[in-house]
Amino acid sequence: MDILTFGEARHLVARTGLGAEWELIGRLQGKPRAEAVEMVLQQAVSPPKAPPPMTPWHKLEPMRLMDAQNRKRAWIIAQDEGKRLQGWWVEQLLATRSPFIERMTLFWHNHFTSSIQKTLQPSLLHKQNLLLRQHALGNYAELLHAMAKDPAMLVYLDGYQNTKASPNENFARELLELFTLGRGHYSEADVRAAAKAFTGWGVDNNTGQVVFHAEQHDASRVSFLGKSGSFNADDIINILLEQPRTAELVSEKVWRNFVNNGSPDGAVIKVWAQAFRGSGYDIRTLMRTALNSDAFWAARNRGTLVKSPVEILLGTVRMLPYPRESTTELVNLCRLLGQELFDPPNVRGWRGGDNWISTQTLLVRTSYLTKLSRGNLNQRVDTGLHLPNVPPEQLVEWLLPVRPVQALPSIPGDRRLVHALLLDPAFQVS
Amino acid sequence: MNRREFLTLAAALPFMGMLPMTTAKAGGQGQRILVLVRLAGGNDGMNTLIPHADPLYYQLRPTVAIPPHQVLDIGQGMGLNPYLQALKPLWDAGQMAFVQGVGYPQGDLSHFRSNDIWETASSANTYLDDGWVAQAISGKSNGLHGVVMGEQLGPLTGKDCHALAMQSPQVFLSQVSLVDDIAPGGSTPALAHLTSVQHQLYAAGQQLGSKLAHPVGLGVNFATSEIGRDLESVAKLIVSGVDIPVYLVTLDGFDTHVNQNVTQSNLLHHLAGGLSSFAQAMQRAGRWNDVVVMTYSEFGRRAQENHGKGTDHGTASVQLLLGGRVHGGIYGDAPRLNELDADGNLHHTVDFRKVYSTLAQNWLGIGNPWGKFGTLPLV
Repeated sequence: MDILTFGEARHLVARTGLGAEWELIGRLQGKPRAEAVEMVLQQAVSPPKAPPPMTPWHKLEPMRLMDAQNRKRAWIIAQDEGKRLQGWWVEQLLATRSPFIERMTLFWHNHFTSSIQKTLQPSLLHKQNLLLRQHALGNYAELLHAMAKDPAMLVYLDGYQNTKASPNENFARELLELFTLGRGHYSEADVRAAAKAFTGWGVDNNTGQVVFHAEQHDASRVSFLGKSGSFNADDIINILLEQPRTAELVSEKVWRNFVNNGSPDGAVIKVWAQAFRGSGYDIRTLMRTALNSDAFWAARNRGTLVKSPVEILLGTVRMLPYPRESTTELVNLCRLLGQELFDPPNVRGWRGGDNWISTQTLLVRTSYLTKLSRGNLNQRVDTGLHLPNVPPEQLVEWLLPVRPVQALPSIPGDRRLVHALLLDPAFQVS
Repeated sequence: MNRREFLTLAAALPFMGMLPMTTAKAGGQGQRILVLVRLAGGNDGMNTLIPHADPLYYQLRPTVAIPPHQVLDIGQGMGLNPYLQALKPLWDAGQMAFVQGVGYPQGDLSHFRSNDIWETASSANTYLDDGWVAQAISGKSNGLHGVVMGEQLGPLTGKDCHALAMQSPQVFLSQVSLVDDIAPGGSTPALAHLTSVQHQLYAAGQQLGSKLAHPVGLGVNFATSEIGRDLESVAKLIVSGVDIPVYLVTLDGFDTHVNQNVTQSNLLHHLAGGLSSFAQAMQRAGRWNDVVVMTYSEFGRRAQENHGKGTDHGTASVQLLLGGRVHGGIYGDAPRLNELDADGNLHHTVDFRKVYSTLAQNWLGIGNPWGKFGTLPLV
């Protein structure tokens, strides 16, 4: 029972990987569902290569505080190194042998957003990326605690300016709204109380390390979500982790990213959230529950997710042997398609789903896929491009999650067929 | 998919392209158009529309102030930057307006954030994803909603706002020739959206391609600056009769922390030259009464100059509007130079969403999500 067909193995690889890679599909096909899911969950980690050289915080920050000319210099350095850092992740996404870890790292990057443009500190964003990677399938409670003391996050959401004398609520608000409970499940008084508890955390200008200034911490008694006391940062996070909403909010996000971009099924979310909280916030447990759920496998949920720019740009060249664009050009294309790595549009991250597609982005996606696949389509010419040697109907099933929208070419030839499939609207969905 | 399904699909007749989108209203002639000019970097409002009668202006800016004898006086104690000379005839004709003191509460001093605020019409503490034009226009009309000369859609960003960003119409036409027509529909909401957008894109390509196939001469020589070329492309699109209500062009470089006057003079000179040619082209084509041009910038600059003969990021600034039906004049109260905020910035006197409200309601006649801000008698 539940032995994966080619189409089901393809679905699992496409939704958890970067492109429906032929080889991965082959490995999962014929396995029992739960075993195949386990293979995805236990992918060996490919450690990322060393990052590009980046100017450390303690050199960049004093430069910015000096005068207009040095500020401009610091800005140029940050832009330049930021682009190279984007390229670093692009190359990791292309090279990795554990695409699921990358998908999850992107998932958390879009949850705990931070931006090179607001922080102007690429080295801190790299450090944050390593943290996201480390916890990608780890423990959400640990990740949340670590994020509250992550230097990029402290700068991005102004936590480092949150002091007893002059409280800044930015981080506290997003902690409640985006990272744990969601709107409607807390009051403004809770935001103020949480902000108070987080006062005193900052980034040392000389070292770039996170520091706690006890004299700037407000230890007065507050009431937070029905509890009162003199709370510190850890207390607040622990109270939030006791709330069932926190696991539900993360589960809903998993639904929208892995199952269907529409409204999540409330009953299913309750089950996932219980498993998640019951495991002490083990992310692998949550993903195991989600990927084994009937909702994940339901035919009605195929083709319901629009592929992200990363899936279109990098996933396509991971699954098909076309020559890839330069890293610089790929970084540029990510920007044109609305997914600049390390620079989400705002604190809520990329909305994704149908929002990836507008007349403009569809034009760029079409140009990219056309350029990639045009080559010589005459099947009598050997171009050195080798596609799986299978009947055309299996190529269709491999490349598209649902039936093609457009008519297929009447002239035979696998390169011509693949070219047509890449330009079919069904190739844009997963 | 089984083999029979595959063969059925393969044998299906090529899709008989749907007719390009025809809009209900008569396209082209008479349609109202808004041309947005983004002054990126934060244009200094005080040296654009100059409060030259206020002695405080000269005290705050000993080296950066425009000397009194160079200012082009336009009354009410205000004057134009001399490098806007090319626009003076439009001011004299009553076809040029300024909104002064324009900004929003708790002005953000970051380029990126404040630009987002301006382009999404959000407040300082809220985040919106769609651009302001997209919010007002999506679903209100068919066809192409906007064209951007450049890369980023800015105020036209939104999944249901049909906008295109292009280096030039020629580059766009070569790209769009790769797009097949397709019938809107599909087995999932995602595919329905994709096919609908693809159909819009195809229709836009058809429309632009057919209109631009017979180029109409503008009879005006535009400057060869980037802004001049972009405005020339917009003018050509408008004169060709394409049915597009909103355009966006960008002039970058206004972040004048150091030696401001050299940089800003040069930029304003290019801006005024481009806009003057644009106005002439529209007048010759009989379209000047159908067009409103509006500038915007993420913020103005600090009232007091810095130590590098420049100015740092500020808040309130000015917006310039031009058009045959623009009611010339200066709108809004001048921010008081003796009442600066804690950072030394101007207090805004007009919320920028009041300007959007005016254009959405009284010019484009589209949705107006900013009705509560009221309108200005600008057009």
